[in-house]
Amino acid sequence: MASKPKIKELLDESACEHNKTKKVACNAPTPGATTGGCAFEGAQISLFPYADAAHLVHGPMTCLGTSWETRATGTSWQGRDLTQMGFTTDVSLNDVVFSGEEKLVKAIDYIMEHYSPEAVFVYATCVTALIGDDIDLICKQAAENFGVPMVPVHAAGFVGSKNLGSRLGGEAALAHLVGTKEPQESTPFDINLIGEYNVTGDMWQYTPLLEELGIRVLSTLSGDGRIADIRTAHRAKLNVIVCAKSLVSLTRKMKERYGIPSISLSFYGKRDTSKGLLAIAEALGDDDLNVGTKALVAREEARLEEKLAPYKTFFQGKKAVLNTGGNKTWSIAAALQDLGIEVVATAVKKATEDDREKARETLGDKGVLMMNPGVEQAKLIDETGADLLLAGGRSLYTAIKKGIAFADVNQEKKRSYGGYDGLLNLAEDLKNALQNPVFKNVARRAPWEK
Amino acid sequence: MGEVIHKRDKPLQVNPFKLSQPMGATLAFLGVDKCMPLMHGGQGCTSFTKVFFTRHFCEPIAIQTSAVTDAIAILDGGDYSIVESVKNITKKVTPSLIGLHTTGLPETKGDDIRGVARQIEFPMVTVNTPDYEGGFESGWAKTCKALIEQLVETSEVVNDNKLVLLPHVSLQPIEIEKIKEFIEGFGFNVLAVPDLSSSLDGHLGEKQAALSSGGISVDEIRSLGDAGLVISVGDSMQESAVALQHKNSEMRHHHFSHLNGLVATDCLVEVLLEETGFTRPPITVARWRQRLQDAMLDSHFSLGQKRFLVAAEPDQLAAICQSLHDAGGKVTIAIATVDSPQLEKIAADKVIVGDLEDAEIAANEYDVIIGNFHCEAIAHRLHKGLVLRGFPNWEQVGNALKNDVLYEGGCYLLFEAANTASSRNEVKHA
Repeated sequence: MASKPKIKELLDESACEHNKTKKVACNAPTPGATTGGCAFEGAQISLFPYADAAHLVHGPMTCLGTSWETRATGTSWQGRDLTQMGFTTDVSLNDVVFSGEEKLVKAIDYIMEHYSPEAVFVYATCVTALIGDDIDLICKQAAENFGVPMVPVHAAGFVGSKNLGSRLGGEAALAHLVGTKEPQESTPFDINLIGEYNVTGDMWQYTPLLEELGIRVLSTLSGDGRIADIRTAHRAKLNVIVCAKSLVSLTRKMKERYGIPSISLSFYGKRDTSKGLLAIAEALGDDDLNVGTKALVAREEARLEEKLAPYKTFFQGKKAVLNTGGNKTWSIAAALQDLGIEVVATAVKKATEDDREKARETLGDKGVLMMNPGVEQAKLIDETGADLLLAGGRSLYTAIKKGIAFADVNQEKKRSYGGYDGLLNLAEDLKNALQNPVFKNVARRAPWEK
Repeated sequence: MGEVIHKRDKPLQVNPFKLSQPMGATLAFLGVDKCMPLMHGGQGCTSFTKVFFTRHFCEPIAIQTSAVTDAIAILDGGDYSIVESVKNITKKVTPSLIGLHTTGLPETKGDDIRGVARQIEFPMVTVNTPDYEGGFESGWAKTCKALIEQLVETSEVVNDNKLVLLPHVSLQPIEIEKIKEFIEGFGFNVLAVPDLSSSLDGHLGEKQAALSSGGISVDEIRSLGDAGLVISVGDSMQESAVALQHKNSEMRHHHFSHLNGLVATDCLVEVLLEETGFTRPPITVARWRQRLQDAMLDSHFSLGQKRFLVAAEPDQLAAICQSLHDAGGKVTIAIATVDSPQLEKIAADKVIVGDLEDAEIAANEYDVIIGNFHCEAIAHRLHKGLVLRGFPNWEQVGNALKNDVLYEGGCYLLFEAANTASSRNEVKHA
């Protein structure tokens, strides 16, 4: 199957800075001691936000049954929002024995007849990959039949981690969509947003600013994305990777094939948002744009500072312990600092070396990088007199035992913390947490235990 | 009873509310104290399942994966990944039981998990739950049966006060607790298998999520053989009851398709009176019966004016439809996740095995939809009333405390359904 990406190549990513230090592929999970999601989930994360495409999961019920309608990826698509719909072949024993190909063909026909999407993504899963259903051939024939792209996604769960799956999702888009159509017009400031999934509308916090600067988002992978747009992505002048390391192989290949340079940035917090906007302007290499961006950043920062002032007074002297993973170890830390909160510790157990460096940079010499947060965080709260614990739900008990405020940063957040205005949302949520008497009240001892 | 369509030739599920067998198995193992559910398959099944239940219960969920990768899938028959899993789990924690259940992946290649488990010196219960067969309800039921078959010691004596309760998968923790208390009110010592009432219902443990905490203990399961009575609730649980009777032929069995509503609860009370020789139930039982009679009359008017669509696992589907029907609520369509003999008994005009696309297509045939979280979008799009029931409910908190069973829960369900039905009166359909 020629269209299948080479997994080994994807794992040996030369664009990955710290790859030199890593000899063995990082995707072998330990039986009985693994918590992460699988490649299918990663592929789903990177591609599901296309609301004008149907996402057909060719597998048994667990794959889609647990996972559809779990991510609030906003879309402005006026048609039926297909990201919030679930399609699966729900293969049965009969399909496992006699092949699920016929069912898959019929399922694609059904979707085209009833929903006429702009494209269909067909996801292989462990079972259908193992029984050898030829989704490449079926997609090829269906594409010819219906005249719309049919994208086979070879990211069965057992091929590796969530991160690898996101790469495979990117590969599928590159192989079957990018470069298959020409844009109606081109501007010198056309960019692709890569790895921005618009969860809770994160990207809408900064895309109006890009628009104001005359920077056009030609396409996205895949937040608020359109199939027609990603097909023209090869004509962009710049790839902007937003907080996602998983798609560096995609952008490297787009550089090799189409000469598109790329930059990687984050839109969390004031400083990172400003840095991000300036970096885009810089990379597009236009003097006027640079000047305009600086002015816009200055204006937005001033506007934000004014709104943040009352919060900053409130947060003065407040200390926080942060227990999360990945790029959040430093990006949320930076956002907290922007609010005037001192981040005394951040967990780096589930972070890459690159993230650890950035965390050190963000927290400074005094800050503690926790390698074993489960054990360390309670002690650190005592030692530093922290007022706030930001962590996943499991740490709630630590906060209650210590009688300090708790904010859940790992669970699906309800509203956006991205861009300048997102910082105001974060400030409001943290203020509410700090003022909330619930943590102290719940910590009360029962009358019979006094 | 109306038309029942068991089988369809639709080639896919669109907006499915069906859930898989391994998920039901996981949940059942979580009803055993200090258990570590071990899902044999790719890591994603476990990760997805963990998040799924965490969000539903707002509780930490203990579960591990054998993390089968593509190479291992081809080379290994489970010997490596299962043995390694047990080794790695027991390095960190000491479960009283490891609940090994499969997914589609190892079943497709034919792993012999019982054989592998036999070679491991650790208490394990194994159950085959491929996700290309059955569903959530059967996964739970099979696991309950496996717990009984593989753990319960045979017995020839019976303790007439000891009663085993076998609840179906859709009963929430509070419902299991209420049924236990109800029966205990007649003087029985009740043990539920599995028992979510104490394991997935609001407690703040110091050591969260390492293992399940609360639930029936492994020792209690081992010694269920001397129970005088077993009560199964939900048709999916009948086989588990039979399995338990195989451990002691003296054990008597009473089966209830569900325990929703006045009629079904009356049947339970009759059985309990007969078994105990009492002439009257505890005062609170009589009091709640009066309240339910009152609730049925208070709610019958708005219930009778509206048409309902109910989408649920078969046992819960039968239960909810009967509750509504008893008080004059008209269920025009009942959609089941999977086929079940239960479907023939459901009090609805039409019963189908289907998905939520079916609910959309039938938009003109109902006013209120009762179903899981995924029904929210439909209710919103089509301007229908919504009562959230079943797994998952990620929309609301407090799921563990939603009580629809017996006289008491019957009141709450009818009031909620009636209030939802009447609050939609003002809505103008688009």
